[in-house]
Amino acid sequence: MSTIAHGAAATVRRKPLAGAALFVTTAVALAVGVALPWLVPTKIAMSLLAQAMFDALLATSVGFLILQNGRVSFGQAAFFGLGGYSVGVLIARHWVAPEVAVLIAIILPTLVAFLLGLVIARITGVAHAMLTLAVGQAFYEVVFRWRELAKGDDGMSFNLPRHLFGLSASGLQDPAVMMVLAWTILVLVLFALALFARSRIGQIAAAIRDNEERARFLGYSTMLPRALVYAIAAFIAAIAGVLSACYNGYIAPQMFHWSVSGFALIMAIIGGAKFIIGPAIGAVVLFYIKDYAGQFAEYWPAIVGIILVVVTLTMPRGVVGLAATLWKMRGR
Amino acid sequence: MSAYAIEGVGLTRRFGGFAALDGVDIAVKQGEIRGLIGPNGAGKSTLIDVLSGRAPNRGGKVLLNGEDISDLTPQERRRRGMARSFQRTNIFPELTVEQQLRVASWAVAGADIDEVMDELHLTAMADVVAAEISYGDQRHLDLALALVGRPTVLLLDEPAAGLTMEESLSLARILRDLANRWHVTVLLVEHDMQVVFSICDRVTVLHLGRSLSEGTCDEIRADPTVVAAYLGTEA
Repeated sequence: MSTIAHGAAATVRRKPLAGAALFVTTAVALAVGVALPWLVPTKIAMSLLAQAMFDALLATSVGFLILQNGRVSFGQAAFFGLGGYSVGVLIARHWVAPEVAVLIAIILPTLVAFLLGLVIARITGVAHAMLTLAVGQAFYEVVFRWRELAKGDDGMSFNLPRHLFGLSASGLQDPAVMMVLAWTILVLVLFALALFARSRIGQIAAAIRDNEERARFLGYSTMLPRALVYAIAAFIAAIAGVLSACYNGYIAPQMFHWSVSGFALIMAIIGGAKFIIGPAIGAVVLFYIKDYAGQFAEYWPAIVGIILVVVTLTMPRGVVGLAATLWKMRGR
Repeated sequence: MSAYAIEGVGLTRRFGGFAALDGVDIAVKQGEIRGLIGPNGAGKSTLIDVLSGRAPNRGGKVLLNGEDISDLTPQERRRRGMARSFQRTNIFPELTVEQQLRVASWAVAGADIDEVMDELHLTAMADVVAAEISYGDQRHLDLALALVGRPTVLLLDEPAAGLTMEESLSLARILRDLANRWHVTVLLVEHDMQVVFSICDRVTVLHLGRSLSEGTCDEIRADPTVVAAYLGTEA
């Protein structure tokens, strides 16, 4: 009776990165971030890496929803845009102190996502994907048409204050500073998500993702953990939106557009949505492919499409999944 | 404390014009293992669903240790000591055996997963992802999830489905043993009569949504109406 199916290959044990290894990996990644200005040769390269980090944060947000909730979102740009617009509008209009604007820009999308999560948590599959798409596009339409808010489809530039949280805010528009800041935030976010995945609430959320009905009959309310995952994912997307808006000093309705959500999803799939770090890796890979292909081909989205097809067919668990498989096969 | 661990009084469940349950009464004494048998469509799984709160009860009431739990959610019933398994294997495929038993234990105060893993012979595969273990072990895991926290009432919907005869009887022995030692009251839906007659104290026979007969295993085997409706002459 006590047998394991499929022979030796099936005895694979899935253990999370051990605690010490997680801390060491995070510390090394943070140290690499500090060294980045010396490792990256030009301002343009720094700027590209900073923007790749924004994409990586957004893709991590989308991947986290898949990993912990088993839900695919086509509307995560809503929270990216909401973060960016909140900070941009509040700073430009001087309605609140800049520090408060930043906090509102992160907390507001998180709250909206939590409440939305309570409503859509039970909806699955295509219906869920379409609903998230509709929510995202609703935000897009509002900011597109509401000219008084931030000049509608023209978008709006805004100046950063002189200081933010006691530090010079001009650094946020310096490629070297933003590159290190965004890298550091991404590493800390990935670290926090790894801790969440191994926490009690993280494992309950994973169980609900796997089998919601059984989780209910074990005694769990399934709605709150799901809504919490939506909120955390939106929190990450909002941080990306705030960083992007501050770096560019500009907000536009395109921040909410479904294509932003779509690209984030593609990044997550290419990197490997079943891994916490997968979407971030996918984002960086795709960002540079996009940038490189854009220099040679007007129709670069087609190149991205071909890459997606190839990855989906040959690497169903993404780049990180392939790397993990190769790692397990070493020495056999 | 009530003499009965679980009671259903006048339980009714209709699907359009079809009565899956038509005023069924059932009362299972503390510590008893009750078999629930009957042909396909008799209402056995529906009865388990209504008792556990998975399906709404349209008339009648459900009592757990004498307390009316008819309006409670499945989560609240679980916290009061009622657990269930499902007809098809119902586990968490991407979690390891230990992870999911731990998740189950967090929902119940003072649950010990080591004893459950040990009793169900799952300790050796604690770190293995559930999708990777054999079907027989998945059925053990399914039962283990329900047993975490030592529920007072266990509703089992065909726990031996798909198992070989040897595996079924092994599972039945484990169940009998645990029910005795842990004082668990069991209501067991099962098509395998060898399993039913080997571990059940009493048996209820459902037919077309109604209770056809109830008695000890010998009484049921000798009941001509049960033989005619379900068991046939070979039982």
